[in-house]
Amino acid sequence: MRRTGTIFNVQRFCTHDGPGIRTTVFFKGCPLRCKWCSNPESQKMAPQLMVRPSKCTGCGACAAACPEGAVVLLPNRPAQTRWEDCTHCFSCVDACLYGAREAAGREASVDELMEEILADRVFYENSGGGVTLSGGEPLLQPQFAAELLARCKEESLHTALETCGHAPREAAVQLARSLDLVLFDVKQLNPLKHRKYTGMDNNRILRNLEFFSQNTETWLRIPLVAEVNDSEDHMDALANLAIRLGVQKISLLPYHEGGASKADQIGLEYPIPGACKPPDNHIKRLTRIASDLGIEVTVGH
Amino acid sequence: MQTDARQLKEKLTVKAVRNVRRGYEKDEASRGMYRPEVKLDLARSRLLTESYKQTEGEPMVLRRAKAIRSILSRMPIYIQDWERIVGNNVSTPNGIYFGIDMNWRSVKRVVSGEEGQSLLDDAGRAELAQLVAYWEGKSLSDIQKNAFSGDILKYWKYEGTFIWTHWSELGIPDHEKVLAVGFQGIIQEAKARLEEIDRTVPPDYVDQKEFLEAVIIALEAGVTFAGRYAALAREQAKDARAPEDEKRLLKIAEICDRVPAQPARTLEEALQSFFFAHIIRYIEYSSVGIGVRFDKVFGPFLEKDLASGAIARQEALELLKLLWVKFNELGMIYSPLLSAVYGGAATVQAITLGGVDEYGLDVTNEMTHLVLETAEFMQSLEPSICLRYHDRTPDALLSRAVDVIRTGVGYPSLFNDKAILPMLKGWDVPEKDARDYGVSGCVYMELPGKNIVRRAYGGIHLPKVLWWGLHQGVNPVNGEQYGARTRDPLAFTSAEDLMDAYLEQLAFFMERFVKIENTCRALYERYLPRPYLSAITQGCIERGQDCRKWQYPSIVHDICIVAGASNVADALTAVDQVVFKDGKISMQELLDALASNWEGCEHVRRLMLNAPKYGNDHPQADAWAQRVHHGTAEVMARFKNRFGYACRGDGSAVSGTYGAALMCPATPEGRRDGEAFADATLSPVFGADQKGPTAVLKSASKIDTLKTYNHLLNQKFSPDMLSGDMKEVFMNYIRAWGELGISHIQFNIVDRDTLIKAQENPAQYPDLIVRVAGYSAYFADLSRGLQDTIIARTEQSFQ
Ligand code: SF4
Ligand code: SF4
Repeated sequence: MRRTGTIFNVQRFCTHDGPGIRTTVFFKGCPLRCKWCSNPESQKMAPQLMVRPSKCTGCGACAAACPEGAVVLLPNRPAQTRWEDCTHCFSCVDACLYGAREAAGREASVDELMEEILADRVFYENSGGGVTLSGGEPLLQPQFAAELLARCKEESLHTALETCGHAPREAAVQLARSLDLVLFDVKQLNPLKHRKYTGMDNNRILRNLEFFSQNTETWLRIPLVAEVNDSEDHMDALANLAIRLGVQKISLLPYHEGGASKADQIGLEYPIPGACKPPDNHIKRLTRIASDLGIEVTVGH
Repeated sequence: MQTDARQLKEKLTVKAVRNVRRGYEKDEASRGMYRPEVKLDLARSRLLTESYKQTEGEPMVLRRAKAIRSILSRMPIYIQDWERIVGNNVSTPNGIYFGIDMNWRSVKRVVSGEEGQSLLDDAGRAELAQLVAYWEGKSLSDIQKNAFSGDILKYWKYEGTFIWTHWSELGIPDHEKVLAVGFQGIIQEAKARLEEIDRTVPPDYVDQKEFLEAVIIALEAGVTFAGRYAALAREQAKDARAPEDEKRLLKIAEICDRVPAQPARTLEEALQSFFFAHIIRYIEYSSVGIGVRFDKVFGPFLEKDLASGAIARQEALELLKLLWVKFNELGMIYSPLLSAVYGGAATVQAITLGGVDEYGLDVTNEMTHLVLETAEFMQSLEPSICLRYHDRTPDALLSRAVDVIRTGVGYPSLFNDKAILPMLKGWDVPEKDARDYGVSGCVYMELPGKNIVRRAYGGIHLPKVLWWGLHQGVNPVNGEQYGARTRDPLAFTSAEDLMDAYLEQLAFFMERFVKIENTCRALYERYLPRPYLSAITQGCIERGQDCRKWQYPSIVHDICIVAGASNVADALTAVDQVVFKDGKISMQELLDALASNWEGCEHVRRLMLNAPKYGNDHPQADAWAQRVHHGTAEVMARFKNRFGYACRGDGSAVSGTYGAALMCPATPEGRRDGEAFADATLSPVFGADQKGPTAVLKSASKIDTLKTYNHLLNQKFSPDMLSGDMKEVFMNYIRAWGELGISHIQFNIVDRDTLIKAQENPAQYPDLIVRVAGYSAYFADLSRGLQDTIIARTEQSFQ
């Protein structure tokens, strides 16, 4: 099968994206713009330049290679990129020998991904693991994702989807046929707040959640950000929604700084620099709210 | 009798050697080679020398037996106030063993230098000088040194490519037989053989007779030795402070009266009998390792005693802990050169657990669990635990093993029956014998009771061999033709040509290496027969032959350590990719960059570093790794030992990958002059593995154990990866390792930050144990360079 899609990473030996030892395929492109995003390089669909100033030796090869003159060299400092001039042609990526410039995102075929996925079959079999599609948002590339999942099912692999849920129903239906588990991210139940922090309404998301939970085993994942979605009332509402939908498991993912440094590497201003992790004892309280209702809660994964 | 946990740990003596060789030399030497309380014990040397003086002119095997008798009957002995299992290979608890008959030069150097200052007082130094005067020209290393002349002498001297050395011997005696019939039973057997040859008078009648007489002398000396402990215990019992102390001492006396002379009846007798047999082996000759299949051998004693109520589980546990303290009392002195190889090691005593019995059934029993419980509690350097893993290893055992691994003590290290049993079969070991294999130290596979007096006779440093292949065997410094005259690298048209040059150089050096080894082995046979070890090794009494005169019919025997295969593989991959496929640099540019140790050629180094690397499940890089290992094994097998068996490699790198690399210039994979090699045969080069632990295992699984040798693979994890719900994942990871048929794996469980802190403030982390290679060591005892390499091992983490 020759179908290709855009991904930004394939990570082996993942143990927090579903049961067992898994390989996670990170899709590129996301409909939401969550302010706390931990993988900002996954938001845009097109491959883009990513720089790592810490690895830069200032050798200047990138500046010489750049057709747009978008790289500026200053003495004793890492090479600077003028993002507004960059066309993401990746000439500098090939020129840099120090791994300071990388292309975030690449075209990959289903065949090629299957080869990489199947390499760890022995680990899936011994651990009850399998494959997880994550992102970005896999539902934005429904044909590609569906084909990849179907191939995994042909190989009898356990399949999981991590989704933000913002997608047309048809896409969800298409994927659900080949899925064993859905890790559904819920950011905020209040539609206004949802729009404020992610740029989109949550109506469609909640309806897709309803759909998945009726058709596939579904777990909820909440990226916990202080002041954004960590109130006890919100947790209570979420836990009750989980009960109503028959969801057995909720993962609380406290905010971490990872996204901020990555945003810098792709020339983005990090939207909420003040974002922070709720205090540990508060997380404990939130955990208790859900577990008291009989839901399994994990923190951090 | 309950010993307080803290007290018990305080009794642990730490006799680990510190690496004082090269790198950071100044601060290393002033720290000393051993901890200050450790002393060089001269008792064995004194009594051995006296005996040798009296037996001049007698047959060597009898001289050795009489020397053993002299030591065992007169060496001062002691029993400490907490002991229940007694004995040591030296005369004080803080002493370390020294084989003056093997090599005195390096010891003399050590004690007269700053690093060995604390090992002897002035009187000791004076006595050592007197003893040395006798051994000058007589010790085996003197004899060896004088044996070579002509061209071969050039290769006898260490130059960095291979090292021949008188490493200590391993081998697993027939402990089960000693427990079943006692020394007296074996003496009877030897006497019966003597009577028989008196009737049959075979052609080697005299040799056999001398040997059998020596066997009897050595074993009788062992009985005498035990009897002296019985007498001392009775003596001490008279002054016992408390009734339970008197009871303890009288029990020791009773047991030492019985074993090892007679068969052992209880667990306590069995452990004491074993310990005597073990330490006498260490006294006879410079030895390391244990190898006994502890649960298989002692499990039945434990179960019988538990069933009869002779011992309670708690008491058995206590007994094991005390035995563990005794294991740690055994120490030996290393030469400064070997300290670079054995940095942090004491006596590399490994015991084996798990695996199958002769019918292929799992052997796990209560003793297996008791040993792991002891190990988890003691967390001591010795003994290291080797766990044999197979398809039916119970979950409960694996789970317990992971608990011990998580402590960071570095063991159990895991051995995969799925890989090793077929490997032994390929070495012509019958299935029944193969199923009984044990690991005596590091990753040395041996067969209990069989005549495999194993030595690692040295190591060959493969990246240096490759380097010769890039230089036509000519030393660029002085123009000397040292290696084989291989093709001019500028005429190479593909990486295949470099591979050919590598194999040709390897054959050239192995030929010389094996000649040296075979010559030295003949000297061992002539000058250092081992009547005691022969007595407790199957087949020697039947044949009337010392264990050095023949060997178990298989290539499971002496080994040559191979270091740096992953570097060679990465070098070939990089040359293939960058020089020949992409044509990004020329061979001349590469050679210039190597000659300048990459200085001013950083872009060349980066290109080579960016080429695919072994350890990432990358097809090309792994294919080269496979070819390097398979090709290396194939070349080695062309050379035969004294008995006609093929020479083979071995993955036990100890810490040699650090020491070995000091004299290896820059190599094409991006390594700088003197930088360490990959830390084990299956380990990727430091930091080269980027795709996580599953990719490392996949790469490792492509190296066919059957076509190569036994391997070693290190993986370092932080403790959280084995805790909580991760434990299950970790166990499944191990199960997948088992299914992949990789022969070995061991884990360093410590987070990087802790290691860095420990390097900065060693005083605050005196107990931090890390896995070096085939053994664990106190991090603080390692040289700074070795510490650096351990920190540099990629820390695998769950994403
Ligand atoms: S090529 Fe790479 S290392 Fe050199 S200046 Fe550019 S980013 Fe820095
Ligand atoms: S990716 Fe951007 S910075 Fe790099 S060469 Fe192309 S235009 Fe220049």
